[in-house]
Amino acid sequence: MRSLGRHRSIRYAPAFAVACAWAVLALVAVAPAARAQRAAGPQSVEEARIANAMGKYAEGTGFLERVAKTDSSWMDAQVELIRAFVIISKYDDAERLARAAVAAPGGRQALTAYGEVLATRGKYAAADSMFARAIAEHASDSLMASLNLALLAKRRGDMPRATAGFDRFIDIYNTASQTLTSREMMAVGIACRELGAGNPELFKDALKALDRAVVIDPANMEARVLLGELFLEKYNGAEAQKTLDEVLQINASNPRALVASASRLIFDGQPGADSLLLAALAVSPEFAPARVLAAHGMVDVERFADAIREAERALKVNPADADALAVLAGAKFVSGDEKGFEETKARVLAINPRDAGFFVELAEMTGRVRRYSVAADFARQAIAADPKNWKAHSVLGMNLMRLGKIPEGRASLDTAFKGDPFDVWVKNTLDLLDTFKNYDNSSTAHVNYMIEKTESAVISVYLHDLAEKAYSRFTQRYQFTPPPPIRIEVYRSHADFSVRTVGLAGLGALGVSFGTTLAFDSPAAKDAGPFNWASTVWHELAHTFTLGSTDHRIPRWLSEGLSVWEEHQARAGWGASVSPGFLEAFRTGKLVPVSRMNDGFMRPKYPDQIPFSYFQASLVCDLIVRDFGEKALMALLNEYKAGRTTDDAFQKVTGQDMAAFDKRFDTYMKQRFAGPLAAIAIPGPEYPAGMGVSEFKARADSLPGSYRAQVLAGMAFIKTNQNLEAIRMLERAHALFPLYGDNDSPAVMLAKLYGESGDKAKAIAMLKVVALSDESAFDANVQLGTLLAAANDSAGAMDALERAVFVNPFPADVHKSLAALAAARGDHARHVREREALVALDPVDKAAALFDLAVAYRSAGDEMKARRTVLRALEDAPNFERAQDLLLAIVDGRKP
Amino acid sequence: MRRTIAAVAFALLAAAPLRAQTQVLIVGGLGGEPKFVERFRMLGAELSGALHARFGIPDASIAWLGEDSTSRDPRYRGPSTRAAVEKQIEAIKARCAPGSQVVIIFIGHGAGTEAESRISLPGPDVTVADVKRWMDGFPQQRLAFVNLTSASGDFLPIIAAPGRVVITATKTGFERNESRFAEFFVKALSQDVADVDKDSRVSLLEAFRYAARETKRVYDNAAKLQTEHSQLDDDGSKQNTADPTGRGGQGMLARRFFLDARTAVTAAGGDAALAGLYSQKFELEVQVDSLRSRKASTPKEKYESDLEQVLIDLARKSREIRRAEGRP
Repeated sequence: MRSLGRHRSIRYAPAFAVACAWAVLALVAVAPAARAQRAAGPQSVEEARIANAMGKYAEGTGFLERVAKTDSSWMDAQVELIRAFVIISKYDDAERLARAAVAAPGGRQALTAYGEVLATRGKYAAADSMFARAIAEHASDSLMASLNLALLAKRRGDMPRATAGFDRFIDIYNTASQTLTSREMMAVGIACRELGAGNPELFKDALKALDRAVVIDPANMEARVLLGELFLEKYNGAEAQKTLDEVLQINASNPRALVASASRLIFDGQPGADSLLLAALAVSPEFAPARVLAAHGMVDVERFADAIREAERALKVNPADADALAVLAGAKFVSGDEKGFEETKARVLAINPRDAGFFVELAEMTGRVRRYSVAADFARQAIAADPKNWKAHSVLGMNLMRLGKIPEGRASLDTAFKGDPFDVWVKNTLDLLDTFKNYDNSSTAHVNYMIEKTESAVISVYLHDLAEKAYSRFTQRYQFTPPPPIRIEVYRSHADFSVRTVGLAGLGALGVSFGTTLAFDSPAAKDAGPFNWASTVWHELAHTFTLGSTDHRIPRWLSEGLSVWEEHQARAGWGASVSPGFLEAFRTGKLVPVSRMNDGFMRPKYPDQIPFSYFQASLVCDLIVRDFGEKALMALLNEYKAGRTTDDAFQKVTGQDMAAFDKRFDTYMKQRFAGPLAAIAIPGPEYPAGMGVSEFKARADSLPGSYRAQVLAGMAFIKTNQNLEAIRMLERAHALFPLYGDNDSPAVMLAKLYGESGDKAKAIAMLKVVALSDESAFDANVQLGTLLAAANDSAGAMDALERAVFVNPFPADVHKSLAALAAARGDHARHVREREALVALDPVDKAAALFDLAVAYRSAGDEMKARRTVLRALEDAPNFERAQDLLLAIVDGRKP
Repeated sequence: MRRTIAAVAFALLAAAPLRAQTQVLIVGGLGGEPKFVERFRMLGAELSGALHARFGIPDASIAWLGEDSTSRDPRYRGPSTRAAVEKQIEAIKARCAPGSQVVIIFIGHGAGTEAESRISLPGPDVTVADVKRWMDGFPQQRLAFVNLTSASGDFLPIIAAPGRVVITATKTGFERNESRFAEFFVKALSQDVADVDKDSRVSLLEAFRYAARETKRVYDNAAKLQTEHSQLDDDGSKQNTADPTGRGGQGMLARRFFLDARTAVTAAGGDAALAGLYSQKFELEVQVDSLRSRKASTPKEKYESDLEQVLIDLARKSREIRRAEGRP
């Protein structure tokens, strides 16, 4: 087992405590100034600086602009003004002011600020000379100039010079820490952060220095934001947000803190990043990090053209911005613009021929759009450029794991962790890899499996068959053969599955497909709640084919839609189904149009939007098949494989642009769900608390077309034990929305009421609705199976019980019933399968289970397996008389 | 060397069933709450009844002490005070011959850890030191000590010794929550649920494994963390005591520790010819045991081939006995 770097838990804590303490002091310190400003605005350069720190840029800059050139504080005012203008995107003004300031008497004090403006605009050579002049002329902030020179050297790839420059700051800190200003201490922190790549211990020193910078000057917002960014860089979202929150409490308009907070939200998989970005851009419309982060968001939802637009806007401010160039190159690459990508790459490498960060960015971006093999290649290029880029090793390792190359992935992750022991994703994944010894490995013709030993036997009984059936069907449908082998990993712990998938616990999904490597929650992963593990397998395996047949270029939404569509094709009842909530979302315009379907998955606006989007995407597939035939689906995949955009692909295959297709889908929905849509659309009056059952009934009777009115009346009658009336209301509700069978459906309530009244035929009818609507309905399927078996519908009973097994394969009674039904029907294959499952469940009376399996084998004509199995039974129970008789019958050659 | 070890095991296994006469002491501890008083009473009554009815142990060889002073159960010997327990121990000592079996079972609440471990009784508690002293007083008997109380785990390392079966409901004295193990252990002995080797007898190992597994199932089904982990030691090593298999290491003695006292003669009901068949059958059972105990060290094919032959022989012998007994 590994532990995270000690300082994450031991030394960060006091450092953070110091930061917290100073946050409070800062508020106290600024409060009088703020009070003064309310009255008359800033009265000094210092007060203007504080106004800027608090986000009152108009007041701060307004005062600074008014400082007379003859005033002794004029030069200080210019430096502060230059920096404030940069913050609010007034780059031209900042540059103009800086140029004038350095030309003025005492202008050496503005050289560093001027250099910073020039660097922000990508004028690196000019910036270099300004910083050099600041040092040569002994400007008061020459240490910052030294740091900036080292940063520029790094930007150009001149690592010896950069490292030497950063290294100086260790000595400066050790010899003069008591005399350093806040900004100089911040420079020490930045230098230590840069040196941390070679020695992770220095990250602790970076924190220490940045903390100290804040202590020296609580209004040093830049140091505070740097602290937050450093926490985030070291994968500590919680500490990052606490630190950034302190900044935002003081200055809710700090663009850099807003962007860092947005990054933190994305890091932790939380919504809200968009609004933070908008807030940042409202203050600083050309703030490159905001544009770059926005571009990343666009790539994530596969709006590549928009991503390119954002990146190019960032590059207008600084044509050499490394992050903007990287996202531009990445967006061009994933959108299929090979030429554009190469041109951008050339621009990057012209600035820094060994820019490992550029390739890391490309690797991460291509990984996010599921092109894992490409991502691994980019990560390798990053390592070639800088073998000490630990992030590159980490990204390579993660992508190799996704490609099923476990030993190679582990080696890369080990390297990454040695270099950066803070990477919680890597640590979690390595810890998970340590548990792989607890898993069984097995294989079928086309698939390798890794399943935890305790449940491997019982899951394998079903999974092997299921996976091969899916493989066969999808190979035929998609005319694509995935590169072997397909690897399926089944995790008993949802947290382990989550780590395997995203490196962190807390993922909301149940399964994931990386192409030919798939990972699932086991049905025993109770924290995941009940779910249909078999349909999940089917769904994820469908991704293997839709991703593979398009070279991973299919948009996320269509891949999901096809996977749900395949679930629907595979078995009645599998996959998402229609619900009142879904139809209400459609009716009220809360479903995204088909043309923007990725937003429904990647940028959900409400909690149910993701599950709604899955179902909606499957309906799009239904519509395409209805109007253009199944061939059109395959034609679409071919278009994506050829690098077409969704607009172009739909235009070519359907002859319609996306706007027209959006309308077609809208019409389709209204036609397909006309009845239920009408039933949920009828507005009823409010239902105040304390309403009596007679009032519910009156409303239901007065609104016979209202689904809601009937359901509420039915429920009210159930509460008062008036079952006959309840049945009447719920039957009306069911007739209005006959497809709906989820937990709160009329069908569920009616099945119970019919069951209680002894009307088995009607109970069966309702349970069928539930079973075919809710793929996770274990109890309903068991109940249905029992009732059908009693009604001599053994085929129906077996179907129902199999559906139950696909939700929970562990209860022995279901397998016993299935085995008995199969034996009675002479269905030897399923009889054997069920008996194998019962043995796999490792019952207390294993000898009896083995005996029953031996009998099943013998009935199926497999004497060899029967003999071997009955011997296993007798090995456990030598005096088991029925087993002894079976053994002798086999040995003596008597017929069954 | 391997042959020597196998021969010793053979002698031990072969000798055990022929000599066993069983004395049992069941002690139901202080319940405290009415529900526990009733539960401990029911478990004691069920167990003592099963020992008589299912295992054929005479009432005189079963002593049940508990809180229910009004019980008319023929095996009930009065309140479960420490003095009464001590008195019953002395009585058993006086009536049991060398080579016979002594089984002491506690049901109730436990407390304390390590040397301070104890079982709650009306009046003074019984301590682990008391139990050790009592057990050491049976140097020539086969002993089983079954502590079904909560927090019973720390009894095991103190009581365990070679030739002695020790079972506790928990792993340590810190597992103090209400234990479910006791009810399944009693069920294993009182119902047809635990005879997994189908020899129509339930060994202490079978009872232990059944109870352990069912206890785990209770927690798994309720999606709760298991707060009790039963233990068994029957070789005095105090190692690997949670999952004894009886196929080597822990469980070898418990697998052949039966509460009934069956011999070839008793099994045959006095029929000399049938007794001979039973004797041959027992011999084959011992061969099966011997083969299984050498499984890990025997080449797979040879093991399977030898085992199949002995199992076929055993099956034929069983059929012969059934025919002789007029059974189908």
